[in-house]
Amino acid sequence: MNNKYKILLIEDEENIRKFVTALLEVHGYQVLTAKTAEGGISMFSSYLPDLVILDLGLPDKDGTECLQEIRKSFTTPCIVLSARSGEADKVEALDMGANDYVTKPFGSAELLARVRGLLRTNSPRAKEGKLPEGKFETGELVMDYDARKVFLSGAEIHLTQTEFNIVALLSAHFGKVLTYSTIIREIWGYSDMGSIKKLQVNMANIRRKLGIKPGDDRFISNELGVGYRMHADGE
Amino acid sequence: MKDKYKRILTDIGITVLVISVFFCFSLILHKGLGASELVTPLFVLAVFLVSLLTHGYAYGILSALISVLAVNFAFTFPFFAFNFAIHENIISALILIIVTIAASTLTTKIKNQEKVRARAEKEKLRADLLRAVSHDLRTPLTAIYGASSTLLENYEAIEEDSQKDILKGIQNDSIWLIRMVENLLSVTKLEREGVHLLKSPVVLEELVDSVLAKFKKHYPEREITLSLPEEFIVLSADAMLAQQVILNLLENAEQHATGLTELSLSVSVSGNNAVFSVKDDGCGIDSEKLKTIFSGYYMEEKAVKDNQKRCMGIGLSVCAAIIRAHGGEIEARNRKTGGMEFRFTLELEENIDE
Repeated sequence: MNNKYKILLIEDEENIRKFVTALLEVHGYQVLTAKTAEGGISMFSSYLPDLVILDLGLPDKDGTECLQEIRKSFTTPCIVLSARSGEADKVEALDMGANDYVTKPFGSAELLARVRGLLRTNSPRAKEGKLPEGKFETGELVMDYDARKVFLSGAEIHLTQTEFNIVALLSAHFGKVLTYSTIIREIWGYSDMGSIKKLQVNMANIRRKLGIKPGDDRFISNELGVGYRMHADGE
Repeated sequence: MKDKYKRILTDIGITVLVISVFFCFSLILHKGLGASELVTPLFVLAVFLVSLLTHGYAYGILSALISVLAVNFAFTFPFFAFNFAIHENIISALILIIVTIAASTLTTKIKNQEKVRARAEKEKLRADLLRAVSHDLRTPLTAIYGASSTLLENYEAIEEDSQKDILKGIQNDSIWLIRMVENLLSVTKLEREGVHLLKSPVVLEELVDSVLAKFKKHYPEREITLSLPEEFIVLSADAMLAQQVILNLLENAEQHATGLTELSLSVSVSGNNAVFSVKDDGCGIDSEKLKTIFSGYYMEEKAVKDNQKRCMGIGLSVCAAIIRAHGGEIEARNRKTGGMEFRFTLELEENIDE
């Protein structure tokens, strides 16, 4: 009967809670709220929401603890709201299992896009440590994992092995920000001084081959100092 | 911590190098030319140089003592033996030590003066900011507060179109406040990290990408003409701060260049630097004002109309502070064809080829 997505919002600021709740409800989501980390964890285990929006600065505990608690047994997508704009905090939250982050202050469109992206694509295909099989499509971009080929608007894009692996990894975690260190670990298995640069060079080539120009925000977005994220065209 | 260690090593290196070069030179003069009267002034010069080039008193005094021993041992009678009985030797030793102390005091003073000047500059930026903030925050806050109470109290009486207008106003003022806070954050970051910015390798393309993505969020209508070098460029900078500089310059043009139709961002490489250039074809600026464009000038203006041109001085002085903290240069000029050009440099990351 009730087939709305359930979203759990853990946020102590009343005004933010109010407007995010209103925003999500207007867009057809069912919203549960909690004001504290403890409250959030108990809400989570009783309702098992489809997505969690989590503020990092909660009164009783740090939001990251909440995240760790959830990640012990669930892979539910989590969006972190953070007032901290430093890269290090974002990387920490992502490495602890957050799928995405939104920096305060944020606009409604920004938050909605992230929610949509994560709900649409939290497919069972995106298993950690394994390259997916079959095909993947987003907009004009098609990936054939079995044939190891990429097509853009029907035309094949020639990627190197490494470039293909990176794009495949990002697509397997569609909507999620992958940090530099995560990508490096998955692609090369080890990391050294030059590996971030190696990744960045590969990424520059990928973007060029896919025809993504700076500021385009198509398919793969770059989170400066943090990592990369694949997303739907125009979001 | 690491820097301190490095500095001590460099200072020791300088001391050892200078003293040994001068020792060898003196030896040549003494043995080869028999000009042993030149030896003492040579060592005075050596000690002076060491005091000048190293930090603090320790190295100067150390080299003075070494020099005294060296002169005594090698160059005064009896040669290649110590002899402290001769008055001349003791007097020359005293002179050397006095020279050292004088030179070290002088250089320390100069270095301190530089520090004081840098601190004063920072203080000024902070004072400018504080003034601008207290002056400027009031306007948007008044608008937000007034607009929202008007809406709340007269919700039914106001037509839907006007409601939207009022809400739009609230949004614009909040966006302005957000930018102001971002600039303030950048300044506190500069204050905290001081001269030692957290520089990391930043890929030019990614930097520009993320600036443009942010810019588009606020100004979706504006197309920016972009020109980047073909090759893969890595800068050495604080990514967030560098982003703030470009964003401030673009937004500055968007807000203040009356008659703007074309806004461009181009980057070229010159030597070890990336040169950024932001050009607009707007109204330009008086040459009088151009001189003080980076120093938060507009407070001095007599006829500051509330609401107009707010934020301008601050955004640009934050740019200047960030670029200077990176050791780069920033300049503004009126273009011959009309409009303005801002140029600034950021250092390239070394050894990209690894």
